[in-house]
Amino acid sequence: MNRTHRAPTAVVTIGLTLLVLCPVLFMVQMSLRTGLEAFRMPPTFPFTPTLQNFAALFEGKFVRSLVNSVVTSTSTTALALFLGVPAAYAFSRARVRATGLVSLWTLATRMAPPIAFGIPFFLLYKDLGLIDTRLGLVVIYLTFNLSLVIWMMRAFFDGLPRSLEEAVYIDGAGVVRAFLRIALPLSAPGLATTAIFTFLLSWNDFFYSLLLTRSAAVTAPVAIVNFMNYESWEWGKVAAAATVIMLPVVALSIVVRKYLVRGLTAGAVRG
Amino acid sequence: MTERIARAAASERIAAATGEVMALPTARPTRLSWRRARRLTFAAFVAPAVIVLVVVTILPLLYLVATSFTPLDLTNPASLRWAGLMNYRQLAGDDRFWNSVWVQARLSFWTVSLQLVIGFGVALLLNGRLRLLELVRSAFVVPMVLPPVVVALIWKILFTPDISILDWALGLLHLPQPAWLADPRLALWAVIIADVWEWFPFVMLMLLAALQMLPEEPLEAARLDGASAWQAFRYVTLPLLRPAIVVATLFRLIDSVKAFPHIFIMTGGGPGTATEVTNYYAYLEGFSYTYVGYSSAIIVVMLVATLGMSLAVLRLSSREVEVE
Repeated sequence: MNRTHRAPTAVVTIGLTLLVLCPVLFMVQMSLRTGLEAFRMPPTFPFTPTLQNFAALFEGKFVRSLVNSVVTSTSTTALALFLGVPAAYAFSRARVRATGLVSLWTLATRMAPPIAFGIPFFLLYKDLGLIDTRLGLVVIYLTFNLSLVIWMMRAFFDGLPRSLEEAVYIDGAGVVRAFLRIALPLSAPGLATTAIFTFLLSWNDFFYSLLLTRSAAVTAPVAIVNFMNYESWEWGKVAAAATVIMLPVVALSIVVRKYLVRGLTAGAVRG
Repeated sequence: MTERIARAAASERIAAATGEVMALPTARPTRLSWRRARRLTFAAFVAPAVIVLVVVTILPLLYLVATSFTPLDLTNPASLRWAGLMNYRQLAGDDRFWNSVWVQARLSFWTVSLQLVIGFGVALLLNGRLRLLELVRSAFVVPMVLPPVVVALIWKILFTPDISILDWALGLLHLPQPAWLADPRLALWAVIIADVWEWFPFVMLMLLAALQMLPEEPLEAARLDGASAWQAFRYVTLPLLRPAIVVATLFRLIDSVKAFPHIFIMTGGGPGTATEVTNYYAYLEGFSYTYVGYSSAIIVVMLVATLGMSLAVLRLSSREVEVE
């Protein structure tokens, strides 16, 4: 690209970026205005931002749903890592024939719409008394988290040189030692990325929470919809709640943006 | 002891290198047991995850297929009995189901093709050594990582007259200011626009990554042979990008069939059944009307169709994309 083209391209790029972000920014500024002012068109600038909507949010039940979101997303991430990371290591090191099968499985479970798992889990949970419990959500989130962890971590382990582990074998250590002492610490960045990914997917879930919770275990994305209905469309508050659940996602995804496409196409693209 | 293990490890490496699975004829008992211990440990690593995966994914899907053969009604537990293909026969003559398939087909077609066109266009535009690139990439990531609920709420606000900046801007340009979500002809387009905004960055990021990894030589050769910029793009760049385009299409297609939060929040399937996709219709049958058996049948048909469609896409791309 030569010099004469550079400035216009930059201008177009910045313009495009603003255009893409505009809907989000519109909602965020809405959350910072008082009730009526939020709806004045055109929006007046500058304006005095107020945290009134956020304060109202944190007086209500919304806090509990946020806690539910944090607890379920964290627990399911921990569980998926605990089960999935050793399996990923074995798949990477033992040259198991089944690795192709795992990819296929990951792809197949991704194809199923959430309701395909929602119906059987709903029927089962009704009998087991797991409807409207955090445990119920943690378990159903494994349907998408576990194969994702195996798939992503296997790619990270494949990238680690084996020679270090072999050195430990020579010292008389077993597979468990090599895994815990060598492979695991070396794959810390991979672990962090994978953890963030599973956390985000669980945090963003809407369907399972809508289907399997009522009030006690309801997570933040569904809670927004509920107070939309009960409090007859308080747009300022809706915007504030949406902003709250969006902030951690935006922050974390910028951390993992390099791996974003890889994670979102789990099963199909070589890492 | 150490020496023996060292020898074992060494021959293990040789075995690994030559692709031998069984021990070499000269194997001694110790090495065999060492290898067996290793294999057992790996099995113990894999087993819990595989068992849990089977329990949470395979068994529920089998149960789903089983319920699809029953007239199960949530309000009547006694309805859990075998009814053969009854649901499927009913489905074949269900106009509302076929309408939902048609809505789904239009939604999938327009979202996927618009995302491909816009995503590809923007990727080509940004494919320079722009200093801003890192920043821009981070910004473009935002729509697709947002919780789907937030995307739906943002666009619900933007498509609601009187409170929306979009409505105001259209008025300023003396364009019609429709009540998008209340108009049967426009409601689906409102959903399409929201989905395109959310996911075109995915296509863009994939193609941008592929563009930046393109080898220089073929393009250079084409240029030396006197190819025009368009010819170079059409006959060199595009074929090289095909695998990435296929994967992007496949994933967008699969996800477009799962559309739920947008429709639930923005339109509720309405007005009428104008935005009622198959997934949403199944949800209504199962959880608003409590006919879970019938709902399961809809989902089974949908799953088979999605699987078939994905295989067709992969087949069309003639094995350029390995499933690995």
